[in-house]
Amino acid sequence: MAQHNEVGKIGEKLAREFLEKQGYKILEQNYKTKYAEIDLVTENQKKLIFVEVRTKVGEQFGSPEDTLDRKKLWKVLQNAKFYSGFTGWQGPERIDAVCIVLNPDFSIDRLTHHENIVS
Amino acid sequence: MLIKVPSVANLGLETIKVDIEVNLANRGLPGFEIVGLADKAVAESKERVRTGITSSEIDFPQKKITVNMAPADVPKEGSTYDLPIAVGILSSVLNFPIPEKSLFLGELSFDGSLRHTKGAFLMALFAKEFGFENLFVPLPSANEAACIKGLKVLPVENLTQICQHLLGQKDILPIVYQPAEESIFDKPEFDMKEVLGQEQAKRAMEIAAAGGHNIIMVGSPGSGKTMLARALPGILPPLNEAESLEVTKIFSASGGIPPGGSLIMQRQFRAPHHTASLVGLVGGGSKPQPGEISLAHRGVLFLDEFNEFPRTIMEAMRQPLEDGYLTISRAKQRVVYPADFMLVASANPCPCGYAMHPKKTCSCAPTQIAKYQKRISGPILDRIDLHIAVMPVDAEEFKNNQQGSEFLEESSKIKKRVVLARQKQQARFASEKIHSNSQMKNNHIKKYCTLTSDVEEILRQASLKFNLSARSYMKLIKVSRTIADLDSSVEILVSHMAEALQYKPKNFESA
Repeated sequence: MAQHNEVGKIGEKLAREFLEKQGYKILEQNYKTKYAEIDLVTENQKKLIFVEVRTKVGEQFGSPEDTLDRKKLWKVLQNAKFYSGFTGWQGPERIDAVCIVLNPDFSIDRLTHHENIVS
Repeated sequence: MLIKVPSVANLGLETIKVDIEVNLANRGLPGFEIVGLADKAVAESKERVRTGITSSEIDFPQKKITVNMAPADVPKEGSTYDLPIAVGILSSVLNFPIPEKSLFLGELSFDGSLRHTKGAFLMALFAKEFGFENLFVPLPSANEAACIKGLKVLPVENLTQICQHLLGQKDILPIVYQPAEESIFDKPEFDMKEVLGQEQAKRAMEIAAAGGHNIIMVGSPGSGKTMLARALPGILPPLNEAESLEVTKIFSASGGIPPGGSLIMQRQFRAPHHTASLVGLVGGGSKPQPGEISLAHRGVLFLDEFNEFPRTIMEAMRQPLEDGYLTISRAKQRVVYPADFMLVASANPCPCGYAMHPKKTCSCAPTQIAKYQKRISGPILDRIDLHIAVMPVDAEEFKNNQQGSEFLEESSKIKKRVVLARQKQQARFASEKIHSNSQMKNNHIKKYCTLTSDVEEILRQASLKFNLSARSYMKLIKVSRTIADLDSSVEILVSHMAEALQYKPKNFESA
């Protein structure tokens, strides 16, 4: 596996642990549809929350927030619609992002949880 | 956290208050949005504010920043909102309050310093009218705002400085107004002394300057028309306080005041080329800008080679020549710009230029001459008070004049007489809205220019003989009033009216 995929996996693991600690219930991880993939599908306070995880080693070449462009947000939104339609979810939904910056030894430098990134 | 920073928008010469509302939201992806009908320059202020704050060694907040400019239905333009937006963001980062009764204006540079921004003077006028006390403006624009008394103008050099001030660490001292010094650029190109001969034309120039009359000079090439016009600024009276405010307003709106500049004290001399566009001359554009005629407000608009100007441009000047202002109506907005200028025009009598020459023969056909002269329309000529023929200077006379040139009158001497005549007019019109004889309307003429029976008789005969229009009739009275003022005479005498009659419209073909 290429290194950036490994970093992504580590990031998703860290994000999952972080959200679980916050009391989020993890429903799915890496939920795949024919459009794309949702990193995490969680539930918290009767809200369905889709989480996109972005991980980077060091911020010299841009922050993880910068990688969330319009195209990616649109993809996540389409996926979220598909998921809630497929599972028949009735209730509020939200799309979040967890941005993680790692040190070269893969320890956490920064972990930021952005709520409601698509509005 | 929501922060309101007050600023202003200039729509032509009108100023309205604009509230810059800055919101830093904790939810959402970090970003920077500006809403409220912002144009390209305002939208680009995002990048200037972001870099300016970072260069001032303050961390730019990683939050979702939304800026609203209220009222949201008025289009905002220009770079003047950089400072209020930056102050709004910094206020929530560094936790300082926005002082009350304050206005902010300024363009940011990438290094966090503030640049000269147009419209500081208009903002100061607005602040005075609506009771704002503190004005935060860039240092190079501060003097411009400070000429309005009773305001605290705080010159801001950079973002670090304004942060320290608002945090109460180190105060910015209010600027003390310094009147602009007379620079070498304000000196006219020529002195009246340098113009050899042409005594009648000089006299006409003196009358025009004293009463603010429009003047047209017709003469062959090289006779000194342009030189006379270029020497005119040297004999113009200085602007009075009210006039100076009007002129400064126009220049502030169009960004014509240099950094560190302040009130404009000199009458403007504008000399657009005849290839100027209609909009460039009378003003306009989708966001109406003042044209040359408004920039020449209370000053001189010199149109060299008057018949080369396109017909549309000449006709467009008819209304402002009469009213002293111009309403520019566009789909989005209407703006009234004052345009009370003194028109100085120069023209050749025919295509070859020698129709009136005493010695050279004119090589133009009569139809050509008629066609050439028709380029200036009758209604425009009718609005010009003084018509003079500038005869070429004879070689012999030229030599004599050259020798005796030290006896010729200097501009400064003529200016003294002009200033005296203007003072008389100002005293006369103290209770009126007008400033000079040329602005008199019929009711003013009735009130201030009572004619003796002798004078009336001359005028009656002249108007019968020359078929004068009603407007020309009134113009003659106005010109004779100015001549009487130059002569320090309370009444208009026969000699004054006789001189005025010399400047009536002529048929140059027969001259």
